[in-house]
Amino acid sequence: MQIGRVLGTMTSTVKHESFQGERILVVQLEGVNGRPDGEPVLAIDRMGAGRGDRVLLTNDGQILQEMIGRKTPGRWSVMALPDES
Amino acid sequence: MRIAEVIGRVTMSKLHPALRGGRFLISLPMPADALLEGSSNRGEEVIVYDNLGAGPGSLIALSEGREAANPFGKTKTPVDAYCACLIDRLAL
Repeated sequence: MQIGRVLGTMTSTVKHESFQGERILVVQLEGVNGRPDGEPVLAIDRMGAGRGDRVLLTNDGQILQEMIGRKTPGRWSVMALPDES
Repeated sequence: MRIAEVIGRVTMSKLHPALRGGRFLISLPMPADALLEGSSNRGEEVIVYDNLGAGPGSLIALSEGREAANPFGKTKTPVDAYCACLIDRLAL
């Protein structure tokens, strides 16, 4: 699990069918002391996070496969919205 | 998945049978400053299996690693970079 900051949202019509009807966020993962960690990632969100929110992401593909299907090419999904510490 | 910019295609003369039917894009992953400030910085080139029809200049959702082969289900497929979405819009 990793903390990230929501940069915004991505919209796509031509996409893998597992993403039909799913909300996809652009998230900048944060490492220790909030420093950006790698390129922004695309995460499936069913928690309704908005731009600027901090989110707790999981990169466990299993969890996402159970949510949206075993053939999904996705990995990251929003697990929780932590209170601003 | 990361966001990547398609800059071209690679055509193959010989292919692993499981890869037939796909196209191969040359794509560059986009760092935060490219997405937010329009900088020309890009990540290292990745060759991506595509069956959605992405063209040069378009942005795609680039799936990498183990899950890039998920869409092929049970058939063993040597794909570790897969075009999962053609991006219409990024609201950042």
